[in-house]
Amino acid sequence: MRTRLVPLFTLLFLLISSPLVAAQTPAPATPPALCVATPAAETAASPLPPPSPYQGEGSFPLVITDDLGREVRIERPPTRIVSIAPSNTEVLYALGLADRVVGVDSYSNYPPEAAEKPQVGEYIAPDLERIVAAEPDLILATAAHRETVLPELETLRLPTVVIEPLNLDEVFASIELVGEITGESARAREVVCSLQTRVNAVEAAVAGAPSTRVFFELSPDLFTTGPGSFIDDLITRAGGANIAAGVGEMWPQLSAEAVVTADPEVIILADHEAGITPEQVVARPGWQGISAVAQRRIVPIVSDLVARPGPRVVEGLEAIAAALHPDRFPEADS
Amino acid sequence: MTNALPRPISGALSPGTTQRVNATLPIIVAAASVVLAARVALTIGKAPLPPALAGDMLLSWLGLPARHWPESAETILLQIRLPRIVLAGVVGAALATAGATYQGVFRNPLADPYLLGVASGASLGAVLAFILPIPRDLLRIGVVQTFAFLGGIAAVIAVYLLGRVGGSVPTTMLLLAGVAISAAASAATAYLMYIRGDQLLVIYSWLLGGFNVASWQEVRLVTPLVLLSIAVMVLGGRVLNVLQFGEEQAATLGIPVEPVKLALIAAATLATAAAVSAGGLIGFVGLIVPHATRLLIGPDYRRLVLTTALVGASFLIVVDAAARGLPGPSDIPIGVITAAVGAPFFLVLLRQQKRAVFW
Repeated sequence: MRTRLVPLFTLLFLLISSPLVAAQTPAPATPPALCVATPAAETAASPLPPPSPYQGEGSFPLVITDDLGREVRIERPPTRIVSIAPSNTEVLYALGLADRVVGVDSYSNYPPEAAEKPQVGEYIAPDLERIVAAEPDLILATAAHRETVLPELETLRLPTVVIEPLNLDEVFASIELVGEITGESARAREVVCSLQTRVNAVEAAVAGAPSTRVFFELSPDLFTTGPGSFIDDLITRAGGANIAAGVGEMWPQLSAEAVVTADPEVIILADHEAGITPEQVVARPGWQGISAVAQRRIVPIVSDLVARPGPRVVEGLEAIAAALHPDRFPEADS
Repeated sequence: MTNALPRPISGALSPGTTQRVNATLPIIVAAASVVLAARVALTIGKAPLPPALAGDMLLSWLGLPARHWPESAETILLQIRLPRIVLAGVVGAALATAGATYQGVFRNPLADPYLLGVASGASLGAVLAFILPIPRDLLRIGVVQTFAFLGGIAAVIAVYLLGRVGGSVPTTMLLLAGVAISAAASAATAYLMYIRGDQLLVIYSWLLGGFNVASWQEVRLVTPLVLLSIAVMVLGGRVLNVLQFGEEQAATLGIPVEPVKLALIAAATLATAAAVSAGGLIGFVGLIVPHATRLLIGPDYRRLVLTTALVGASFLIVVDAAARGLPGPSDIPIGVITAAVGAPFFLVLLRQQKRAVFW
């Protein structure tokens, strides 16, 4: 009986919200909730207003403003793209631009075929020589590169765009920006639309449920994520109450006492790949009284799903939501 | 005037001998080694460049027929690799000379350029630059480099003010003040890194040191400062020799000890701060290169300072080439290689010192 309510709620929510979605992302003739691809001819016939908040003209050459406020001029759709951050690589592949990618950083491992591309060094300080050797006409960087390779790339006059989304909405905006820069706006809108649909489904599914107290463990010495951070945004949308919400910093380190006092109902382990298992958490002295430990609601999560601000964060959101409200996601596996 | 000197207290590793070496030969050899190191380093790197590219470019520049090369190869060689090699040489020279000067002024073979807190001050400056919301267009030059430079200088000024007694700066007080300021700056740096954990990776990457974003602009900024400082330190060679007898003895011989110490320390500090702002914290160069040079040409500071500068330059050029050329997804941090080379060398040094002093 309960299982039938979930799709019903979702459908109702979508029908109600589709005008709202349409207002945000001006759509072609087909309703955005169905996320149908726009044939190129239609796009040419009815020129679409550019997606907000970037003021691109939608045709080349165009000038865009990246996430560091830099104005970058793109002469023509790039055909040789180098990505020096794994999140940007995932965005490029999601937009179907695999054959235009000529260089990736050594952490770009998703999708697996991205790792086969020529490597240009590691993420924070990539190898300038190999970037130039790849002869790129576009480089996708992040804010972390601001002090490292960005000044030199600008000196060498290589078009570089910095992508640094700080929350879920900005992730969608950045996917649309990359679509605009590469001349794949329609595809980008499709991708964002389907991701937004999944996000709406999650938010609908957890709507009305009492928020679950959660401790999001980033490391065994109890580093977690605080208000204003990316992961905190996901937790809130998934219907959770981050026990670090009262702490003023973005990446606070909690004491064991603080965790025990806050008594989270769920513990999410983002350090599982570093070797931390639920059994180890249960064995921590003094932790037995915590609700999450007593009820064995300790859930490992693939850290890349929440660490990389790309299309897969929606998977991360779904995983968090399933951990926080398993009763609302009966079809999700453990 | 004879070239032979009695063995000074610090640095000599062959007790009881004096070295008569032709004055200019070591300098010529050292200079040649710099050129050779640079030439070899030009061919090392992970980007696939056409073979004999530099040769072709030279021929073409001379107007002779040569093979064509892609523009990207020229950019890599002239805009990325060459400034990096030059910067490594300049930084190596700066650190080595500063180390030799500190060893001479403090008469202590364990002195290195970071003794008076330059490293900690520069780290603090760099971290502040990373976390404060400073508009990047404010200065035409790198904000992080500027803050690191100023931080290094500020730390040593603090040490000087803390360590001086009346009109003079007793060595012991200076060293103790250096320890204190270093500790304070390190603590402040650690705290800042803690509260801004989101910048941790970037900051740590800078601190580890390296030249992977060297540019001609950086070279233009750093080289004049370093050359000026090295010139001052080279000129101080004769005085450094006399200082080895002790400050009182030097004073009775007519040397104005305090102003000279100040000038030499200031020059060494300037060179070190410039080096750290350009290359991050690279250890062991200032410690072992002076010792290695002394092993080769003896302890006479009139020759030692300039030769050390050249040997330091070729050393760091080679190390940087190794950092670039050794297999791996990215460059190995330079500090790791200098430590790998420096630590065993230093252990051997220590054993020899023990034998020399305690047998």
